[in-house]
Amino acid sequence: MLRAALISNGLSGLDHAYTSNERIAYRVETIAPGWSPDFSSDDLVIAPNGTDHVALLAVRDHVRTFLDDGGALACCCGWFTDWVPGNRWVHDNAHPTREVELRLASDRHGLFAGVDLGKLNVDRHGIRGWWACGYIEPAPGAEVVLVDTWGRAIVVVDEVSTGGFQLLTASGPLGDYRRDGDTDDGLARVYRNFLAHLNQRKLVTA
Amino acid sequence: MKRIGLIFNGVWSQYAVATAPKYRELYDLVYIHELTSERIASLDALVIPFQSNQPALEARKNILYGFLAAGKKIAVFGDSTPLWLDAQWEDRPVNNYWWVKTPDQPPIAHTDRTHPVFAGLAPRHACWHIHGVYTRLPENSRVIQRNAEQEIVTWETERYGGALFVSTLDPMVEHGIQQIRHLDHFVDSLTTWLCGETPTGLFTIDRAAYGVRTVPGVAAGAGVG
Repeated sequence: MLRAALISNGLSGLDHAYTSNERIAYRVETIAPGWSPDFSSDDLVIAPNGTDHVALLAVRDHVRTFLDDGGALACCCGWFTDWVPGNRWVHDNAHPTREVELRLASDRHGLFAGVDLGKLNVDRHGIRGWWACGYIEPAPGAEVVLVDTWGRAIVVVDEVSTGGFQLLTASGPLGDYRRDGDTDDGLARVYRNFLAHLNQRKLVTA
Repeated sequence: MKRIGLIFNGVWSQYAVATAPKYRELYDLVYIHELTSERIASLDALVIPFQSNQPALEARKNILYGFLAAGKKIAVFGDSTPLWLDAQWEDRPVNNYWWVKTPDQPPIAHTDRTHPVFAGLAPRHACWHIHGVYTRLPENSRVIQRNAEQEIVTWETERYGGALFVSTLDPMVEHGIQQIRHLDHFVDSLTTWLCGETPTGLFTIDRAAYGVRTVPGVAAGAGVG
């Protein structure tokens, strides 16, 4: 079973997408004055959509140490501060969302296996370009998994910048959103594939 | 000179508005964990956006009410808790697709256009989607917007001194996200009401503001870490 620290900056509703089950046990790591998180007992740190990138910048050395010790990071939010090792996220509004078409560029770990990309591109209400914002400037050697219409990185897996595993999205929320009506061939499947890979990785490295 | 404090929970969309060239001369990022009366003394108004840190606001509510007691304005958006705002917010399903499926049935059915924020706005610019409703308000409050079920979306009171404007709309976060492209109208009108100055031009993004190691207005160490 994976042990995950879910970073909380006081937003309501985090439990909708991150509920402990037989595969993963979550603990909430709450940002507060004097915050000094200890990730040493965690396999995974999750920076969910809407998280506090000022606080995460302040503890960037904690994150780096955790990753160099083999930990995994999922950052599903626009990190405008420089706390994610090796990779930069940039906001962009140059193109209207109706022009966004996401496509798979590489998927060495099968994160998008069983995923209907059409549902990422057009949601169940018929809205296009809803999922991602901006783009990622990936670290050299990182795997660019998903790109947008203009070939810009939207999902990146980075196993080269640190000793650990980073799954980064260009601000696209990622979690088990089935309780919010997501089907099992959309984002929930990506997230569950990610957890399956981490569990496999944990078995291999144990 | 910066006139409006944007209470900042470290969220990227909040940051995007306050660092956009169009708004950055007027809006001051006030990191929630560094909020003190001294920090906001020079400001005319505060905006507490959607995706704020509700427990942290509760811990600092005396600062907020002190700001109002000085006759200044506060605008609150999205959800809230009765632990710091004497009103009852309730969640409702977010309908952000009405403009595709039922364009003649927007989430807001009634708007009091005598309020300065709404006076010059077209109906489409006064409504995109809402995050819940209010079912209880402080005494002597003025209701400004309701949904079709007559539930309260936007209200205002001056019972604490300056104007306290509260809405379950989320203009700052959505404007920062930039997927809804008509929010300049609302945010510009709000800004004018809050500080008397009207931003001009289009919302643009300064690439240099991304990937930073120092955040404008936020102290090194950021009150955490």
